Amino acid sequence: MKTTFDTQTIEINPSGENFVTVIDGKTVNVQIARADALNGRMDLLVDGQRVTAHVSSDLAKRWVTVNGRTMMLTKTSGAKQGVRHDHAGGLIAPMPGQIRSVSVSVGDAVKKGQTLLTMEAMKMEIRIQALKDGVVKSVSVSQGQTVEREQILVEVE
Amino acid sequence: MFNKILIANRGEIAIRIMRACRELGIKTVAVYSEADENSQHVQFADEAVFIGSAAPKESYLNMDVLIQAARDSQADAIHPGYGFLSENASFAAAVESANLTFIGPSADSIRAMGDKAESKILMKKAGVPTVPGYEGLESDEDFKKAAKDIGYPVLVKAAAGGGGKGMRVVNSENELTEAIELAKREALNAFGDERLLIEKYLAEAHHIEIQVFGDKHGNLVHLFERECSVQRRHQKIIEESPFPLLTPELREQMGQAAVAAARAVNYHNAGTVEFIFDPQPATFDLRPSFYFLEMNTRLQVEHPVTELVTGLDLVHWQIRIAAGEKFPFTQNDIHQHGHAIECRVYAENPAAGFLPSTGKLLQFIPPQGPGIRVDSGFAAGDDVTHFYDPLLAKLIVHAGNRADAIKRMQTSLNDFIVHGVVTNIDYMRAVLETDDFQQGKVSTRWVETKFGEWHVPQPELHALIAAALADVVFIGGKTQPAVSNETDPFNPWKQTGNYRN
Repeated sequence: MKTTFDTQTIEINPSGENFVTVIDGKTVNVQIARADALNGRMDLLVDGQRVTAHVSSDLAKRWVTVNGRTMMLTKTSGAKQGVRHDHAGGLIAPMPGQIRSVSVSVGDAVKKGQTLLTMEAMKMEIRIQALKDGVVKSVSVSQGQTVEREQILVEVE
Repeated sequence: MFNKILIANRGEIAIRIMRACRELGIKTVAVYSEADENSQHVQFADEAVFIGSAAPKESYLNMDVLIQAARDSQADAIHPGYGFLSENASFAAAVESANLTFIGPSADSIRAMGDKAESKILMKKAGVPTVPGYEGLESDEDFKKAAKDIGYPVLVKAAAGGGGKGMRVVNSENELTEAIELAKREALNAFGDERLLIEKYLAEAHHIEIQVFGDKHGNLVHLFERECSVQRRHQKIIEESPFPLLTPELREQMGQAAVAAARAVNYHNAGTVEFIFDPQPATFDLRPSFYFLEMNTRLQVEHPVTELVTGLDLVHWQIRIAAGEKFPFTQNDIHQHGHAIECRVYAENPAAGFLPSTGKLLQFIPPQGPGIRVDSGFAAGDDVTHFYDPLLAKLIVHAGNRADAIKRMQTSLNDFIVHGVVTNIDYMRAVLETDDFQQGKVSTRWVETKFGEWHVPQPELHALIAAALADVVFIGGKTQPAVSNETDPFNPWKQTGNYRN
């Protein structure tokens, strides 16, 4: 069975009581010493080396802690994907919050780095700034409005 | 002594205060907003009162509702914690006029220190060194003139504020107008007061604060220093005590200055006098090596550092002093033992400008072991919402010396497992590993100027194997589509059925 996280593909096949994994052409033998589904903990022997891993799942996301390092991986179909902060020239809300002020209107010429609007989230003021020089194509929010994470706020062409 | 105390706060600090109450045999009342109905502090209390909707203005900042809740639950005192109404003089006064005890300083002390501009004038009179700057300016022109006179970089900050809210560093004149505008708005929003003051920004300085404590019988002591220079967005993330660069003479001088500052406002209960410390003051112009910054008239977030080093329980003493008890000790009885460090574990993304991260905690396992303390307000299954400060937990360690304390903190951070929100755990561990931190050289601008940007490391082989294996082991692997955007295969918090396939 093949699984892809972000851009890395890993193949896992059962081999008796153990598993054989193939990653980047390398074969690794994995033995499961114990696995506790309730807290997502697995004690493994990876090529004979003891490894404790904690794994949690949220939709396509996998949170993994091994050796004190926590990673968030995203399960994908194998195609390249990345987190998009600007959506075809549009600026999106980095997190849920409330719009405090909007300083531009449709048709305004803006400079890279210029503050287009400010929002408040978790008691902080966040400035949404133009990523490039251009003209404001649309403004989708107004002062006082509550926005969701990744909602498009302003588009600049 | 009190019979019942209402804690007008939430999260880890509410629980920490309730713990002290329990130890003193006092009943506890929690308050909660709509967003906190199932929060840990509500679960922990003897009783809980609903106080309004999620927005702080409608609940944790609503004085009338809080006082009414105390009356209805027959509490005889209110502990404000930190943040929210803890430094609001009107609240302290309103609590007292409702015949309840406010566990903190008097309204007059809070008022005197709450206004950053006026407290500075007061401190100058009391002979406490202060940072060069101006208060009471209004027009942009006045600010420009003042900034030019002081010399850039300058700091504009809320006259009514603290905690980094409404604070902006300005490097040159063309940034000044926007900085003032933003700082004013933040100040108005956070404190209901948009007045600003402007002062010299000391780039290479350390933030050192002195814990002070007074009873209602005129006894005032200090509990030594805390070093709090590791900051991002002007908010502390790592604190420690003692500060390795402080000589016994300077420690003594700063302690005395802090006590003088507290005495100038007839202070009682726990308070913190913050100083800017210049490790290499220019000797030719006889500048002092420390300046008064502000006084926080409440319990600090980082108070556990002092508790571990001095062996005193600050919250116990806050309550006992508020009840009228006298200190059974004097300054000479208080000593520093070993070394303590605190790391604030925040739900935030260091790789994205420290933006808060929200979501459900899928996993929350704090470290355990000798010399490790965790003050936390969350457990697995809890939601981290955008309504409140994203502090998940404070991890505090104590050891015989600084080097051992750093090692203990590093291994404790390793053992702290949080899934579901992005945290600053890896970031703080990386800070602890630097030579600058190990040598105690980190100044307040270090994170911004020296440590640089944070990048998420590439996933290790073992992490990828574990993630792939978990799908097979925990759910059998059979029902997994290639792209599982809809399924939530083995998350115990959402296992209420409804597997899509």
